[in-house]
Amino acid sequence: MTRRLADIADVRSGDKGDNVSIGVLARRPEDYGAMLAALDPARVRALFGDWVRGHVEVHPMPNIDGALVLLVGGLGGGATSTLRFDQTAKALGNAILRLPVG
Amino acid sequence: MKRHDQVRIGCGSGFWGDAPDPAFELLEHGKLDYLGFDYLAELTMALLQRLRAKDPEAGYVEDAVQTMVDMAPLARRVGTRLVSNGGGVHPRAGADAIAQRLAAKGERGVRIGTVVGDDLLGRLDELVAGGVPLANSATGSADLASIRSRIVCANAYLGSEGIVEALAQDADIVITGRVADSAVFVGPILAHLGVGYDDPDLVAAAITAGHIAECSSGCTGGMSSRFDEMEAMGRVGFPILEFARDGRCVVTKLPGTGGRVDAFTVKEHLVYEIGDPRGYPVPDGVADFTSVRLQEVGADRVEVSGVRGRPRPDQLKVLIGYADGWIGEGLLMFPWPRALARAQKARATLLERFDRLGLRADAVEFSFVGVNALHGPAAPMPERDDANEVGLRVAVRTRSRDEADKVRRACSQLWIMGPGGTSFGVPMKPRPIVSLWPTFVPRDLVPHRVEMVTS
Repeated sequence: MTRRLADIADVRSGDKGDNVSIGVLARRPEDYGAMLAALDPARVRALFGDWVRGHVEVHPMPNIDGALVLLVGGLGGGATSTLRFDQTAKALGNAILRLPVG
Repeated sequence: MKRHDQVRIGCGSGFWGDAPDPAFELLEHGKLDYLGFDYLAELTMALLQRLRAKDPEAGYVEDAVQTMVDMAPLARRVGTRLVSNGGGVHPRAGADAIAQRLAAKGERGVRIGTVVGDDLLGRLDELVAGGVPLANSATGSADLASIRSRIVCANAYLGSEGIVEALAQDADIVITGRVADSAVFVGPILAHLGVGYDDPDLVAAAITAGHIAECSSGCTGGMSSRFDEMEAMGRVGFPILEFARDGRCVVTKLPGTGGRVDAFTVKEHLVYEIGDPRGYPVPDGVADFTSVRLQEVGADRVEVSGVRGRPRPDQLKVLIGYADGWIGEGLLMFPWPRALARAQKARATLLERFDRLGLRADAVEFSFVGVNALHGPAAPMPERDDANEVGLRVAVRTRSRDEADKVRRACSQLWIMGPGGTSFGVPMKPRPIVSLWPTFVPRDLVPHRVEMVTS
């Protein structure tokens, strides 16, 4: 069975202007490499489709076995003007846990 | 002020609306030097400007002012000083209200320091005339004139200098307008240690500690992915920082309170709402979160160390809010069997109603609650239409309130012309949009001032 990021990592997300900030944390240090490999910017971009208007940045944080994923233009205009129910992207980050882990 | 080797500071509020009881527990039992409070979100400043437009004495966060009043007597007895950004767009009025209410209670001699200077609403034209472009840093647009007549608020994010000055003038309470969230912690830390801004690593350590604590229970089990391991979250303890002169900081909470402080809960908040972790910029400095070391050093105790930083930026971030139309929204719920098919039919019917009502919309967004309202394109459609229930949510952006209200009317019209089982709850009123124009202004053009009133 295909492993997904949900099997090895946790997420906390929120808004930063019109950008969505997604902190991803590997549960075990030995999974940090696999987690980082799964967070390919192009695959992240494809996952969120037209909900992300800009580019995707992935910043490794090896000191905490984590990474910070930034969806630029990912909030539909920002918390105060987006049409989405999840105005501050508290829930949106969890979607990244669908990505397959090699 | 005396120079200390360690400072003990708690977080009493992570947002306007946060629970007050954990803050009172901290004040009573925390043996704190300071209690810091964050009340301001992006939209809060626009809301407060609207209140001030109706009443010249309004514009501060009422809950913040009353909390300061309620806490001041005990805070004096236990030697804890209170620092908040609850002054909103009118910190001076907030300070006066605190002083008057304390005097009315017979609490005299409480010194309230006010930090002002962040409010640029009346200075925008002067800044532009002086050569500051105020270009939108997100879109690149330099056409401020296109929104000029619709601007409702404009605030620079100040650092902690004014707080440090107010504390040096023996303020018992400090109330500010828009400062960086972390500043209500960085200010007391630097003031108590008696250090300035010339050691970037030490300042970055204080910024990091402030960032970890600034959302109250955000680092003690709130918002946690390990929610099912977090006990008694309804009685959660808010964080305490024990910050030492060498830059090491222990994050902890009161014994017997709910939640938890461990390396994971601190990590969870370290990554919260940031950009590039190698350079977290606030007015006081730039912290490198990839340099942070976390170590569990006891029950509900995590030591944060090793933080490196860079000097503070020359430019201050400014958020300009402007009226930008209206949102009309609606929610209808549909039952099994074939709940999704019912919701999809309702969507088609709503689009026909929008057409008949002549709705002029800048954007229309539909989502199916239970399917893709939270994850949008990232959520797969279900293979079988067998959910217990599915909701249809619609949100529409319009230029006027009347246009937005057509969404409420159309949703109501589906009460009978919709599919069988259409349920509707309470219709939602249109709400105004305040869009944000982020920009920068040179630090030296935004001087802060400290004023002191005594009850």
